[in-house]
Amino acid sequence: MSTTSTTAEGDLEGRIRDYLAGKLGAGSSLALRDVQRIAVGWSHETWLFDATWTDGAGTHTEGYCLRRDPGNALLRELSDLGVQYKVLLGLAGTDVPAPRAYFFEDDPAILGAPFLVMEKVPGVCPSPWGRQGQQFYAEAAARGVLPLSFTDALIALHTCDWRSAGLDFLGVPGAGNDFCRREVATWKSLIEQAEFDVDPILTDTIGWLEANAPATDARPLALVHGAYRTGNVLVHDDRVSAILDWETPVIGDPLYDVAYVLSELNREGTELLSNLVDRDTFISRYEAGTGIEIDLSVCDYYHVLYAMRSAAFWMSASGLFSTGRNPDLRLARTAWSVPVVLNQAARRLGY
Amino acid sequence: MLSEDELLGRMAQILRRDIGPSVEDGFAKTQAFMAGVILEKLSGQLRHAAVHDRDDRADAARLGTELGGALGPDDGEALRAAVATVGRAVEDPDVAVGPALNELVRQLYAERDRLGGERFTALLQRTRRTLRARLDRQLEYSA
Repeated sequence: MSTTSTTAEGDLEGRIRDYLAGKLGAGSSLALRDVQRIAVGWSHETWLFDATWTDGAGTHTEGYCLRRDPGNALLRELSDLGVQYKVLLGLAGTDVPAPRAYFFEDDPAILGAPFLVMEKVPGVCPSPWGRQGQQFYAEAAARGVLPLSFTDALIALHTCDWRSAGLDFLGVPGAGNDFCRREVATWKSLIEQAEFDVDPILTDTIGWLEANAPATDARPLALVHGAYRTGNVLVHDDRVSAILDWETPVIGDPLYDVAYVLSELNREGTELLSNLVDRDTFISRYEAGTGIEIDLSVCDYYHVLYAMRSAAFWMSASGLFSTGRNPDLRLARTAWSVPVVLNQAARRLGY
Repeated sequence: MLSEDELLGRMAQILRRDIGPSVEDGFAKTQAFMAGVILEKLSGQLRHAAVHDRDDRADAARLGTELGGALGPDDGEALRAAVATVGRAVEDPDVAVGPALNELVRQLYAERDRLGGERFTALLQRTRRTLRARLDRQLEYSA
């Protein structure tokens, strides 16, 4: 979404240049090139650019990605750029493909809002919801390399030593069903903040989730992305070059991500998971790579939880528009998505 | 004269067919198309509103009658009150069906232990039949 005027964008570019020049010790030699404002995503504003500067060691060129928190974007209540920065810093020493984080600034005086500067990782990120994206993933599926890389990146995520990476700041759930109860409570709070009449099916779904939360002790706790699918990974040379959109990471049950990959929410017109991976291939490779057995009954629970999350997400989105916090009509349209995801929840609950 | 839903439907068509394609700026173009989609949804919602409201109320009243017959004085007062409110959906136009059903579901879960597993399941399953029918009506214009 872009509601900023060209003039304001121009001013912002100058302020980004001045900021980076200061951080890099580049003085007036620093120049920004190929500045692109990424149009996709309703969360944080994102810019990609190359910075070139000269110092005593010569001329340098580095690619950067800057994300700014506009204060009125989706998942504002759950997502914090400061947390994303700390997660990316922690992942730097692991095998998880993720952008390196460089700087985070909470002070709105610098660029008008908190922002995060990270590495511009090479690659593309086609939307799996559009025709072009679906063709991209269908062709990649036929070549067979990207589906394995997509699975391997999740394996790397779920086998990384999150404690050594300092990611326990995300909160470590207790034994039993504590993880599931925490996650239900998180998304329930988003629903309560949406200032909407809650649909009775959503209340039923939440009641069912609270009453049926499974224990997760059979599996080691892992760093969970929270929305692992095509469209949230960057692809370069037929491989996942980076996992993006670290907006809802948690320490928890790795099957939470697995269920999302298995979910019908993330594929359209194909049986391939996330429009990319054959189900049997994904399951066998994931289990072999992680040593974690996929318990499909637990995944079924998470599918209901994802339906609840989707309802919370769309309620929050349309609430941003209806309360005047964000003028993007795409947000207003999401009010009619709520019954659609409630239908998925109702079917799961046996309605 | 065009009905309200027909007018909205025409406006949606014009936005999507004529105005959207001629807008140069990417964001404004998206907004034009999205305005068309929203008007289309609103048009469908308006077209069905009276019939859906009537059916929602009739279903809710039947649910209230049936659940009311299955509850007794030993059951929670808040649950019985929620059932009574749902049961008045036809006779009392001030009863908002969605919030009334929501309160009923909330009270069912709150009373789950007192009701016991079997009664809770039976009452919830009956309630879900009403919720399913109501959702199917909403999907006629949402999906």
